[in-house]
Amino acid sequence: MPTSKSSPEVQASLTRRSFIARAASGTVIAAMGGGMLYTLSDRLTREARAMTTNDGRPRLPPGQRALEALRPMGGTPGSPSVSDFRLKIHGEVERPLELDWAGLLAQTQTEQECDVHCVTGWSLLGATWKGVRLKDLADQVGVKPNARHVVFEAAHGYTANVLLREALAPDVLIAHRHDGRPLARPHGAPVRAVVPSLYFWKSAKYLTGIKFVARDEPGYWETRGYHNHADPWLEERYG
Amino acid sequence: MTRLRPWLRALHRDLGYLAVGLTVVYALSGLAVNHISDWDPNFDNYEAHHQLTLPLAAGDAALADQLLRELAVAEKPTDVYRSDTDEVSVLLDNRTFHVDTRSGAVLEDGQRPRFLLRVANWLHLNRGKKAWTYVADGYAAFLLILATTGLFMLPGRKGLIGRGGVLVALGVAVPVLYVTLSGGP
Repeated sequence: MPTSKSSPEVQASLTRRSFIARAASGTVIAAMGGGMLYTLSDRLTREARAMTTNDGRPRLPPGQRALEALRPMGGTPGSPSVSDFRLKIHGEVERPLELDWAGLLAQTQTEQECDVHCVTGWSLLGATWKGVRLKDLADQVGVKPNARHVVFEAAHGYTANVLLREALAPDVLIAHRHDGRPLARPHGAPVRAVVPSLYFWKSAKYLTGIKFVARDEPGYWETRGYHNHADPWLEERYG
Repeated sequence: MTRLRPWLRALHRDLGYLAVGLTVVYALSGLAVNHISDWDPNFDNYEAHHQLTLPLAAGDAALADQLLRELAVAEKPTDVYRSDTDEVSVLLDNRTFHVDTRSGAVLEDGQRPRFLLRVANWLHLNRGKKAWTYVADGYAAFLLILATTGLFMLPGRKGLIGRGGVLVALGVAVPVLYVTLSGGP
């Protein structure tokens, strides 16, 4: 005669199955809820997707979401002290130059509004930056005709390479202020590069040098699998 | 294999115990750094606003003294400088005060290192270099041995020829499917 009672092994198995099923359902529901909340709350991104730049490109590059403030993104910080600050402009130039803090502030200052795009998927639209145009510094040092690339050098050996013609674009800054205040430490104080047309890792924080070179020198992230060029609109994230 | 299993279990058990500390460090740091675009895994960055009593002291050094006195800051500044025409910045170890010389308004911009996580991230990202590279390599080798010995620890239906085999296949399928479906690098 069949019995309705299961053996202890079967009961344990059912309990385990039931536990796994409940845990899986809970995970799926939590993930769906989180995803919905994320999608519904991302008003900035929806608005940005509807905009275009002056040259007709979408203002928000593919795969990006808009944020309200810069994210720190780590990196080994350099000294935030302006007494320690020295910016060496060297390489394929006629007149190498070293600027201290006062020397940097004595240069023609430019304030501009631009968008920046991080390779991890966030963008900050309409951020204001103040600093010195790299083009102006390049004119001072006299870039030799054989120079083809610029290498931004930063604290603890960080480097990022940029094509010369892109580095000399009028919106490329050696910046010391962001959104009306001095650069905060996590954002590269006292001075960082700002190259709005490329993913933001090219905009080296804690800047110590600008080297003009004839042959390309892939930088810190470029030698670790990231794209050598890094155009956000072409989604050049990885090499 | 039957005679080998007790040895595999012993090796798996002891390496498992040894790996606990580093696994915690790497797992915590992995979670923290994976979401670096959402938060700063090393520092709690903060801002605070203060107001100095007017009129402000004349001269940058005197202004810095007034700031430290009024805000009861005992540290000695590492730098006092003009960060803009109407702004004096006073730099301390983990924070900077920016004083608007027209209004006396002060923006404090600082960082508090995250307890444990900052050290874990430092180790995980091998920022210390040197000998830690050997430790990290050794840990990776430990994990390989743990995974390999784990495959052969149990005989029968719960082992590699039964449930264990299915679970191993599932585990391998995750990265394989991800690479295949995402198009890979």
